[in-house]
Amino acid sequence: MTHSSTPVAVVGIGHTRYGSLPQHDACSLGLWALANALDDCGLSHDDVDGLILNRIADYQRFAQTCGINPTYTLTTPAHGRFSAICIQTAVAAIEAGLAQVIALVYGNNGRSAGVRYAGDSAPYDSEAGGLWFPYGMTSPSAYHALMMQRHMHRYGTTQRQLGVVASTFRGHAALNPDAVMREPFTVDEYLESPFICEPLRRLDHCLINDGGVAMIVTTRERARALERKPVFVRGHAQASSFSGSDFPPDDLWAGAMADAGRRSFEMADLTHVDMSGLMIYDNFTPTVLFSLEGFGYCGPGDAGPWVEQGHLGLGGRHPSNTSGGHLSESYMQGWNLHIEAVRQLRGEATDRQIPDARAIHYMAAAPVVSSIVYAGEAR
Amino acid sequence: MSPCTKPLPRAADVGNAPYWVAAREGKLKVQQCDACGRLRFPAASICPACRAGGVHWQTISGYGVVESFCRFHKAYWPGFADELPYTVLQVKLDEGVRVYSNPEREAEGCARIGMRVRAVFVPVTPDVTLVKFREAVAPPRPQAPEAP
Repeated sequence: MTHSSTPVAVVGIGHTRYGSLPQHDACSLGLWALANALDDCGLSHDDVDGLILNRIADYQRFAQTCGINPTYTLTTPAHGRFSAICIQTAVAAIEAGLAQVIALVYGNNGRSAGVRYAGDSAPYDSEAGGLWFPYGMTSPSAYHALMMQRHMHRYGTTQRQLGVVASTFRGHAALNPDAVMREPFTVDEYLESPFICEPLRRLDHCLINDGGVAMIVTTRERARALERKPVFVRGHAQASSFSGSDFPPDDLWAGAMADAGRRSFEMADLTHVDMSGLMIYDNFTPTVLFSLEGFGYCGPGDAGPWVEQGHLGLGGRHPSNTSGGHLSESYMQGWNLHIEAVRQLRGEATDRQIPDARAIHYMAAAPVVSSIVYAGEAR
Repeated sequence: MSPCTKPLPRAADVGNAPYWVAAREGKLKVQQCDACGRLRFPAASICPACRAGGVHWQTISGYGVVESFCRFHKAYWPGFADELPYTVLQVKLDEGVRVYSNPEREAEGCARIGMRVRAVFVPVTPDVTLVKFREAVAPPRPQAPEAP
């Protein structure tokens, strides 16, 4: 495995308010977040020579509006799996010398635009033909419900264990003034909450809100001159399971996760025990369980009892989604988790700070699996 | 037959039209690669195994196993509102292809992982027949069900 002779660091992070922001579109949310990220590191728009956008389709309007003319530009679709893909691409572009200072910018006006993830307007292309609609089958939620049902059948995983995930992350959000949902709930209250697609309840689902996030990445050399403590992208990998993905995978993506996890740890020269905290793509609570197993934090089928032992909470073995994640902080499709990893490694996470945080593992399970290892020190 | 207020097959989805034509005739058909014989469904322009384009529609047994199921408590189309909660099945057919569907009749215990099922054909309009599934009692079982 080759790795960079020029370590790449996150030097600036920024985000908008989260919630209902009807006066904004994805572009203006991204511009807002970018301005904050540049402020954070003391750079200006004029320093940006690479632009990677996610969920902001009109890259031309975006760059024109903020008056930048980068030497490298890319935009990517509105699927959460793309946050880590963008970060990998930024690292590769810097290593290849395509750009020196890359702005990664995400904007999402899904709430105000009334985006629906189910039914006739379901945005995923795999549903576009509507083949299964006559049977009432639609939505990522149902897809994950089908996977969770199998996990429960195979391993005896319980709804209570899903409730532990949801209530733990809500507890973290209660410590985060920026989080959209901050009212704590108990597992018993979770078990009384309504189903959406059984076995999943409303509280197993991510939020739908407006907001934007930006990150500035550059070389270690450039980072040295900047205000903030750099956070290094020390390992990264992706793997995919597209084949047959009209239907949930038999292995719940475990094979792809093991592959991507191993390669990113090798690149980082770190492993599970080195991870001070985890940022787990939590579109739905089951994904958290599948990820813990697939990336090897516990054995296959063990994630339910593992989370019940309290390992995800602050003070646990691997405090996870300390900002509240997609379930409770904000549905920024990975991006809010990336910037929370950076905050933790800078020691700026205030009431929810993981003591002496040295490395954080971001992971996402989907037809594209991704794994990023952030660390305070370069390899 | 009262008017159907649930979504119907879309005319624009021409690739899968032979599936619906076959259902009306009481058959379950899926695509089969002319070159390598691999079955696939939903319809696709080339074979994901050998990448050949030639294809025909093959009748399959309609026997399979419930791999998973979920139960919708929210209606995304008005026609489902009076039937909540309703069950969606993920069925793996004996020939290896998968479909989403529903139990023929919604009832307690109408879906279990590992349940042996067979296709039944349920007309919902004069033009449209759905392929639903009923528990199969004395079946051949060429494939092992999922391990517990």
